[in-house]
Amino acid sequence: MSEFINENPDILDENLLPSRKEEEGDAFQDEALNTVNLLRRKRLLKIHQTTACKVYRNVELIDRLKAQEMALDQVPDLTASETEESDEGEPEDPIDAQEIYDMIAHISDPEHPLTLGQLAVVNLPDIEVSESNDKSKISEVLVKITPTITHCSLATLIGLGIRVRLERSLPSRYRITILLKEGSHQSENQVNKQLNDKERVAAACENDQLLGVVSKMLSTCK
Amino acid sequence: MSIKLLKSLKLHKDKLWSVDCSKGLMATASSDRKIKLVNLKNLDFQLVEELDDSTHKKSVRSVSFRPHSSILAAGSFDSTISIWGKDEEASIEDGYQETELLAIIEGHENEVKGVAWSHSGYFLASCSRDKSVWIWEADEMGEEYECLSVLQEHSQDVKHVVWHPAMHLLASSSYDDTVRLWKEDADDWECAAVLNGHEGTVWCSDFEKSESSLRLVSCSDDTTVRVWKYEEEDENGEDIWTLESVLPSVHSRAVYAVSWSPDGYIASVGSDGQIVIYTEDESGKWKVIAKQHEAHSVFEINTVQWTRVGDTNLLITGGDDGCANIWFFIP
Repeated sequence: MSEFINENPDILDENLLPSRKEEEGDAFQDEALNTVNLLRRKRLLKIHQTTACKVYRNVELIDRLKAQEMALDQVPDLTASETEESDEGEPEDPIDAQEIYDMIAHISDPEHPLTLGQLAVVNLPDIEVSESNDKSKISEVLVKITPTITHCSLATLIGLGIRVRLERSLPSRYRITILLKEGSHQSENQVNKQLNDKERVAAACENDQLLGVVSKMLSTCK
Repeated sequence: MSIKLLKSLKLHKDKLWSVDCSKGLMATASSDRKIKLVNLKNLDFQLVEELDDSTHKKSVRSVSFRPHSSILAAGSFDSTISIWGKDEEASIEDGYQETELLAIIEGHENEVKGVAWSHSGYFLASCSRDKSVWIWEADEMGEEYECLSVLQEHSQDVKHVVWHPAMHLLASSSYDDTVRLWKEDADDWECAAVLNGHEGTVWCSDFEKSESSLRLVSCSDDTTVRVWKYEEEDENGEDIWTLESVLPSVHSRAVYAVSWSPDGYIASVGSDGQIVIYTEDESGKWKVIAKQHEAHSVFEINTVQWTRVGDTNLLITGGDDGCANIWFFIP
């Protein structure tokens, strides 16, 4: 990658991103961090000023692997519960903002090797779900995105990625609205209009080149 | 007054974008790249034919029958228009005659979003994301097409085109939030009027089927349905159209299609999955007389058209579920 549109975005630590409390495997593992690990991380941060640097990432990974090993020893059937896919899960579960967040926070940014969650392009408080209790009725999802810079030319692409991800993941009864957060972009109305035009989105999804880029962005989704 | 579902036909694997009916035959267009023909006569609703689906490389967005013939035009996101028909001279003895590809029309730079034949069958209009409206002149066989005019006054993609049922007057709806009316002037076509007022993409419009008054209904992403009225021609030869009424607000999301029936009803459909039927109480005053929720279960509805089969008035809708639903409307 040669020229970034935004050279220096602010980055959140993946572990600090909002997630559902009871399912928080990461927090559990991070609790297993001992003081030595913590100190090492702190020192690294002092040197590099950012959690995005390679060394820090690697150290973090090793820590987590270790913690996982420990966890495995303590909870022998962890693998069993982990492989249980939500595919055939209970369709009765209502979908909430956290679930939408989990679907889209791991989408990769088109220009940085980071996720939309880490870059705070998508944020939990900016997701609204108005769920109808009756599954035969229409429900609505509203996602407001915050581009890292106000002239980000990739805002439309990011929005498209989010829309494709949600359209593929959510049942048909959901109407998805994606907007740029107020004041976050200089051509806010223009981008909003394009992102919510079903015909343009449908046509974009038939554009192989564009679809390739979107697929790449979505490849990091869990 | 009620709307009753007569038949739901699951025709496509993906979004059904457009329907057109003529002489007891219904054509449908879909994102699954297929065009299907269904027999409506005697309320039979049997699939008659599936046109060669290797013709278009992307979604088929719009279909239109040429009046007084069996010729069908289809516009696709692959930027081409296909023309279909039967070899009328071939003997009928062989039984059913297959519909053949007569022509492929190229010219638009990208996605073709709408196609429409004039009442006379002389002209074919097409519109595209390339912001232009093209007027084509067709030969009698439907095999040769000459472009008469490329109209480029819209500032954004043109979503839909429709002809007046008795005049050579064309309406185009656009992402630039306007409707433009076009008419023939000497040898060329020119913009006769611009209808400003919608606060979002105008998705579709339809003319009143009346000889005594000239009106147009339009629907938009702004959730409204509006009726516009032709007033007069001003001294510069420009037509003056005014907003006559904004129909009662029922839709909660984008309204994707409207259709004006020969007996004066307007039907609208949209993203909220509703069919709404309006009637005119007194001149310019409209009220809702029928509504249908979840007309395609939880799916969006993209298209609506009134049609008459024998003595029966039918309303046909097409949705993202790939279904064409056929409704009775009992006034």
